[in-house]
Amino acid sequence: MIRIERRLTEARWLVVAVPAGSLLAAAFLSGIILALTGHDPIGTWARLLDRGFLAEGAMSATFVTATPLLLTGLAAAAAFRMQTWNIGAEGQLYLGAVGASGIGIALHDQSPVLIIPAMVIAGIVTGAAWAAIPGVLRAYTRTNEIITSLMLNYVAGLLMTYLIFDSHSYWRDLSTFTARVFPQGKYLSDSASWPSLGLAGIAIPFGFLLGMVAAAALWLIYSRTRFGFEARVIGDSRAAAHYAGIRTRRKIVAVMALSGALAGIGGASEIGDFRHVLDPRGLQQASFGYAGIVVAALARLNPFAVVIVAILLGGLSNAGFSLQGATFPAGLVGTLQGLILFCALAGELLVHYRIRFVRRAAPLARAPEKFGAA
Amino acid sequence: MKTPPPLGEGGVEADKPPAVTMRGITKRFPGVLANDGIDFEVLRGEIHALLGENGAGKSTLSNILTGLYRPDEGEILLHGKPVSFPAPRDAIEAGVGMVHQHFRLAASFTVAENLVLGHRDAADRGLLLEPRVVEGRIADLSRRYRMPVNPRARIWQLSVGEQQRVEILKVLYRGARILILDEPTSQLTPQEAEQLFQTLRLIAAEQRTIIFISHKLEEVMAVSNRVTVLRRGKVIGTVMTGNTNTRELARMMVGREVVFTKKKEGPAQAERQVALELRRVSANGELGTPALHDINLQVHAGEIVGVAGVAGNGQRELAEVITGLRRRTAGSVIVTGRQIRGGDPLEAIRRGVAYIPDDRLGTGVAPSLSVAENLVLKAFRRPPISTQGLLHPGRIRTNAVDLMQRFSIGASSPQVPARQLSGGNIQKVLLARELSSRPLLLVASSPTSGLDVGATDIVRGLLLETAGRGVGILLISEDLDEILALADRIAVLYDGRIRGVVERQDAHVEELGLMMAGAA
Amino acid sequence: MNNTILVVIAASAISYGTPLLFAALGELLAERSGVLNLGVEGMMLMGAVSGFWAVQTIGGPGWVVLLVAVLVAALVAAATSLIHAVLTISLRASQIVSGLALTIFAGASGLSSYVGHVASLGGQPARHEFAAIDVLGLKDLPIIGPILLHQNALTYLSWALVAVALFYLYRTRPGLHLRAVGESPATADAMGVNVTVYRYVHVMLGGALAGIGGAFFSLAITPGWLDGMTSGAGWIAIALVIFAFWRPELALVGAYLFGAFSSLGFTLQTRQVHLPPEVFSSLPYLMTIVVLVLVSTGWARQRLGAPASLGVPYVREER
Repeated sequence: MIRIERRLTEARWLVVAVPAGSLLAAAFLSGIILALTGHDPIGTWARLLDRGFLAEGAMSATFVTATPLLLTGLAAAAAFRMQTWNIGAEGQLYLGAVGASGIGIALHDQSPVLIIPAMVIAGIVTGAAWAAIPGVLRAYTRTNEIITSLMLNYVAGLLMTYLIFDSHSYWRDLSTFTARVFPQGKYLSDSASWPSLGLAGIAIPFGFLLGMVAAAALWLIYSRTRFGFEARVIGDSRAAAHYAGIRTRRKIVAVMALSGALAGIGGASEIGDFRHVLDPRGLQQASFGYAGIVVAALARLNPFAVVIVAILLGGLSNAGFSLQGATFPAGLVGTLQGLILFCALAGELLVHYRIRFVRRAAPLARAPEKFGAA
Repeated sequence: MKTPPPLGEGGVEADKPPAVTMRGITKRFPGVLANDGIDFEVLRGEIHALLGENGAGKSTLSNILTGLYRPDEGEILLHGKPVSFPAPRDAIEAGVGMVHQHFRLAASFTVAENLVLGHRDAADRGLLLEPRVVEGRIADLSRRYRMPVNPRARIWQLSVGEQQRVEILKVLYRGARILILDEPTSQLTPQEAEQLFQTLRLIAAEQRTIIFISHKLEEVMAVSNRVTVLRRGKVIGTVMTGNTNTRELARMMVGREVVFTKKKEGPAQAERQVALELRRVSANGELGTPALHDINLQVHAGEIVGVAGVAGNGQRELAEVITGLRRRTAGSVIVTGRQIRGGDPLEAIRRGVAYIPDDRLGTGVAPSLSVAENLVLKAFRRPPISTQGLLHPGRIRTNAVDLMQRFSIGASSPQVPARQLSGGNIQKVLLARELSSRPLLLVASSPTSGLDVGATDIVRGLLLETAGRGVGILLISEDLDEILALADRIAVLYDGRIRGVVERQDAHVEELGLMMAGAA
Repeated sequence: MNNTILVVIAASAISYGTPLLFAALGELLAERSGVLNLGVEGMMLMGAVSGFWAVQTIGGPGWVVLLVAVLVAALVAAATSLIHAVLTISLRASQIVSGLALTIFAGASGLSSYVGHVASLGGQPARHEFAAIDVLGLKDLPIIGPILLHQNALTYLSWALVAVALFYLYRTRPGLHLRAVGESPATADAMGVNVTVYRYVHVMLGGALAGIGGAFFSLAITPGWLDGMTSGAGWIAIALVIFAFWRPELALVGAYLFGAFSSLGFTLQTRQVHLPPEVFSSLPYLMTIVVLVLVSTGWARQRLGAPASLGVPYVREER
């Protein structure tokens, strides 16, 4: 008979062992799935690791994927710490891309010193605004933010599609005959390309650097500021927060906006660092917003861990997509991410609870008092 | 108060095998020996009280009898036959029924649905629910035990007393021959309690057996035939109620002479500033219906005003209106001469109102945050804890160390999450935090409920000391003894209105009880 | 008369609403037991791909193949939901994160996509499909003909399921127990109801029904298989459960309302109404938000609430 008891103190060593262990467990499980469907598990994993981290230029390519994951991962971590479940990073990223590309196009003949910060700010503002909608709804009408932020993802995707495929909008390139028949967005000028930092042969994109700064800032906010303290109290107990005089509603909107801003930077980075054009199909295909949730969960909402996990999962993603083709199964990336998350969730149990095996069935005690008089 | 019939008369069957025999019952939990070789016997048709403080082992023993726990050692016999209960259901089928202190009822379900839930007997095995049959049975039971109840009513619509009737009916519906009631009068007025006792006597007269768990001496004297006293997991003694008195029982319970009333020390009643004034305050409750009507009340600096009343008569709303957690719909709340806008806890905090809520773990602390962080839960906004929006971790820590020492808060370190503390220590955290903010007014709601005698003593002492330093205290409590022990003046809250305010020396328990039931 | 825009919209609303209804009924049962399962989208996609696979691989007369395909879809989705059940019920993991993980794991670019590609299902023409049944030859009756008497078997099944669900919840003992488990698991447990079993069973039932809803896409609407072919229907179903106050009959109404908006875009376009298609496509999502806001107001919360234990793992702890 298995009995599960709450640990009195969090087992420190498990805090690192669990994510590591879940990666291994997920690798093992995915290996089984691969083997069952006629693929070579070891070979597949070797190719993944090679293409993700080891091969020539692999790390640089990994950083390309890791950058948006870092930002959406931080977005999720920022919101989830306060138990506001922002599932809308996907749509907030799209809006960030729309905002940044719009500004980038408008300022096309300005110097990079002006354009790049403008793009970042545009990403922040549009992402924050899109996230503020479910935030306000949650704060002032108590509407569940999971569904509302999620629904807005679809609306944001449709908005992008509309701007490029079904309208003659500012974002759309109408200059040539081909462009009018086969819709595409206006390309940004070279001065709107974000720089990257060369380090030991790896090109680290500006967006990633912004992300690292954001990670440090997020950690500081939560552990050292009044804002962060209040957010943690709210995340722990809304009743206690109300009792302590904390303005819960404003916080909810603020944290959602912060979360959206981070995702928005991710969108701006996609334009400025990598795509240089508003690319609805590509962005929707990539699902960075949802993947960010996986990153945050695996990193246990710790901003610095998010950086590392983003690189890891970025490598896997990158390898998975670049290997895609006749010989490499599509859908493996999502499966892998799901498995990692499942294992991490199961492992999470071990951090907080101890499992003991007892011989006799000892039935339960007082159950949680859900209903008392008055 | 009626005297119960002596054993051998009335319904008690002294010549048949005892209804319940528990021998050598021992039960251990990590770190505590809850029951230590307990021998306990109840005769058929008897009302037998199980008396003891919090933590004496009464709940454990009854949980063993109802199949929730299994004893580590010992045996149980029902009507002379050995039994064992692997699960609660087995105890129910053996005829043991428990009426819990915190009702186990599904709020949105009807009375009938609650009674029928999980029930299995020959007639009730079917897949389909048969509302009419069930209602018929409920009507029968209602009539027999004079407990009128509407089978179609939903639980949330019923008063506390009615809900308790449903709990009792639930147990009788399953044909329980042995009933265990756990602190059944904790939320009843004195008059409702008397009604309950009459019902219990009716039940006992049918040769059903009743075990009555309580820590209230007066009740035990009023209703039981015999009393068994537990202390620290052991049986101290079993006496016939007719042969004992409250003082003796208290001594057995606590192990020392208990002084029943604590005379208040402090400055003489001079002209003092008014710390709190409520003028014609009204407010709504959770469901939007009026909960407070036209409340007028004053608390002077250094005075303890007790608000007595059965839970559910507006106490929580009263506390929340004063402390800003709830908006009022009419009237004004004035703290040290300045009116409070209301609806804003932060405003109340800034005006020097401190609040110890009755829901400690749910409202008073953030359970996952550390003790140190909880100790600055209100002070974190200002220097020295924070400046310009930034926190100073060092000062949070020193503040915690200091307060933990002054208030003897038992935790291994300030970084421990608050939820790991015992009830008494959490209460000390609340007190430490609220009192260290130098409030002008303290609202304390059930400050000693669920605490053992030692902790209760300390908390009461702290309250008296705080009043002695000039803080006005509004003490809201369901425990009339506590109010009588501490308060200078006593207000009775019934149905959202103040029924009367009396000075301590003029207070009589009976008169207060009548006010608490709205009858005076 | 049967060609009027209202009738056409109503008829196709039922079409598009059917998968929503299946998934919503399933999620409703799971949530009634107190377990929130956000993985509905993933389970629908698993149902879609496995149902289609069954239709393409199994031989036999059409109706047998389709029946088996539906069962396969239900079983596969139920098995997938078992992961969520184990994690959240026995291992007490966060229901929100686990549900999301399930969506990522099984959804578009996940396992359903993997299976679809491994079996090369994309682009294959369907060998069998659920066609509309002409009930008693009455499909041309005014108004009720196209709406009520010309739907496919799965739609009729969904109506039957609504009735069954209603009866189950309110007239049977197990239904009462289910409601008790969701409302107050401590009470149910004390009364001898096995909370764990009820939760497992109903989460898996929820999965099975979502799987059937997903199969509707690949076996009736398209028919065929595409990666991510449910386009968020699973999420709308989750919102639908809240909209329906966890009551089956309201889920029926809601599903068709949402279905109407989904099909509105196409219908109006064929009538030469020129609005960008995205406007219509976004209507279901926007409507969900509006409905949710309305449902979350104080009045609604007081009268009809979520099962009180929704989202909270039931913990049996020794003192």
